[in-house]
Amino acid sequence: MKKNQITFVLFLGLMVSQLTSCKKKTPTPAVVETGTVTINLNHKWGTANGSDFKLDTTLVQPDTGDSLNFTTLEYYVSNFKLKKSDGTWWVHPDSYFLVDLSNPGSLSLNLTNVPLGTYTDVNFTMGVDSLHNVSGAQGGALSTTNLMFWSWNSGYIMLKVEGISNNSQTGSFAFHLGGFSGADNIVTDKQISFSGSSLSVSSNHTSKVFLQVNPDWLWHSAPSVSVLNSIHVPGSDAKTMALGFFANNSITFDHIVE
Amino acid sequence: MKQIIFALILISAVVFNFVSCKKKDGNVSTYNATNWGFKIPANFPLPNYTFENNAQTIDRFGLGRLLFYDNILSLNNKISCSSCHAPDHAFSDHNVALSAGIGGVLGTRNAPSLSNLAWYPAFMWDGGVNHIEVQPMVPLTSPTEMNETMANILAKLNANTNYKNLFKKAYDVDVITDQVLLQALAQFTSMLISADSKYDQYIAGTASFTDAEKTGLDIFRNKCAGCHTEPLFTNFSYENIGLDMVSVDLGRQLITQNPLDRGKFRVPSLRNVAKTYPYMHDGRFFTLSQVLDHHINGALNNGITDSTLLQLTPLTSAEKLDIIQFLNTLTDIQFMVDPSLADPTH
Repeated sequence: MKKNQITFVLFLGLMVSQLTSCKKKTPTPAVVETGTVTINLNHKWGTANGSDFKLDTTLVQPDTGDSLNFTTLEYYVSNFKLKKSDGTWWVHPDSYFLVDLSNPGSLSLNLTNVPLGTYTDVNFTMGVDSLHNVSGAQGGALSTTNLMFWSWNSGYIMLKVEGISNNSQTGSFAFHLGGFSGADNIVTDKQISFSGSSLSVSSNHTSKVFLQVNPDWLWHSAPSVSVLNSIHVPGSDAKTMALGFFANNSITFDHIVE
Repeated sequence: MKQIIFALILISAVVFNFVSCKKKDGNVSTYNATNWGFKIPANFPLPNYTFENNAQTIDRFGLGRLLFYDNILSLNNKISCSSCHAPDHAFSDHNVALSAGIGGVLGTRNAPSLSNLAWYPAFMWDGGVNHIEVQPMVPLTSPTEMNETMANILAKLNANTNYKNLFKKAYDVDVITDQVLLQALAQFTSMLISADSKYDQYIAGTASFTDAEKTGLDIFRNKCAGCHTEPLFTNFSYENIGLDMVSVDLGRQLITQNPLDRGKFRVPSLRNVAKTYPYMHDGRFFTLSQVLDHHINGALNNGITDSTLLQLTPLTSAEKLDIIQFLNTLTDIQFMVDPSLADPTH
């Protein structure tokens, strides 16, 4: 009888252990201290130290002479990396941001869990890498509800520019620019040095990098809106216009606030 | 004796301890007990879709199935995916050339039969869609189809307690997003596998062909299989088959911008072809006989027309009948009546 009682107690014990044993055993992580870096995009218009770029304001494009009133400017930036002073790179995981000039919050890109240290450069992708154009349904900034995805010809609209212009025959312009493969590819890698400054990331602290963005570079090689006022497919026109902005000196280092 | 029983209970409790901690979802093999899950048919190649980031589970499949048949996905809540992709028509429309969207608006292309989609490298007649998960965006948002916005669909689903619970169970999300909606639909559409026709049974050696069917298969392999390649009965290329001197529908050119792709459309699979009339991208032909007449003798040389097609030698009327006999063997009744693919609310 005693044996049975002992066995029974053992059995109960095991059942209890069964109930508790399936709990996820989260290993106590080694405390790695990190900080936050924000990349702040200040949009300017015209040459260096030009005026502020604003939506719903008439701006004159210096190369084409067009008067442009922008109603929309949205573009993707992705795959952020920071270069440490020892020359190695820290890669920010799952790094997709939609910059939308009508949404001030979107102009400050949050890079979290950045390892402590000193950094000298930032590297990122203008647009959305080809892999994320061909891998099915995505979330976050890449959600199709942002209306930056072509349903009928799969792929992200990486840069959307819309507005009103008297120089355009229709009175308006709309450029939806994308393309991620072969000759149509507009995805562009960009590296910006902090020009001798360095960014120190300290524990539980947010360090800020300020960059200047000049959307007037869109017309670096593209013609006046009197000639071309609409693009809605990947191809040579899209590439010319997108690369004017993505590939040139359209984004420059401004300053750091620690 | 009692001790032995207790010892047995003890052992079984220990075993239970080990077994019960195994992951319960995200793995097809979990459902082997009920013989459910994505399986590659013996005569098929490896599929294109591998459920990456969308591991197959029966909850996700069931959710996708419910959505496929639910009118909630259309603007006026009156049509569903199944309105134009009905199971008893091998998931094509009800023998109409062009399908009616909400309010009866007609589209410009024939709603294709949906089968073996997990093997497709691209979707739509022009191949403009590059992934099974994002394909539903076209019919969901097209003004001539369901005419909805993704945002409004999500608002309706998030206001629906049943869907909230089902998405929570299937994807562990508190808010339904377009990502999980599209993934759930792919869980269902990837399971529309047609591989149990008489043809498949013949290949497997479990059914025999009549003489006419055998002759038909021989002629088919000789003249048609270059594009309608077994076992999927398409090579997924885009061809202009000389339907018109100048194609009104630009077809593949819409995607590539290349004028030499004008009027090119994806070579359609011929699985269940006898049940999926009318034919061609615009549904202009109602019988297989008409289609054969066009392919063998009727193609116009518009400068883009597939040269192989123009060089096909004529068929005797007996040969034509044999080919049709063979094409009838591609009908997969089991696929059309499969209860696991049917409307779950009926």
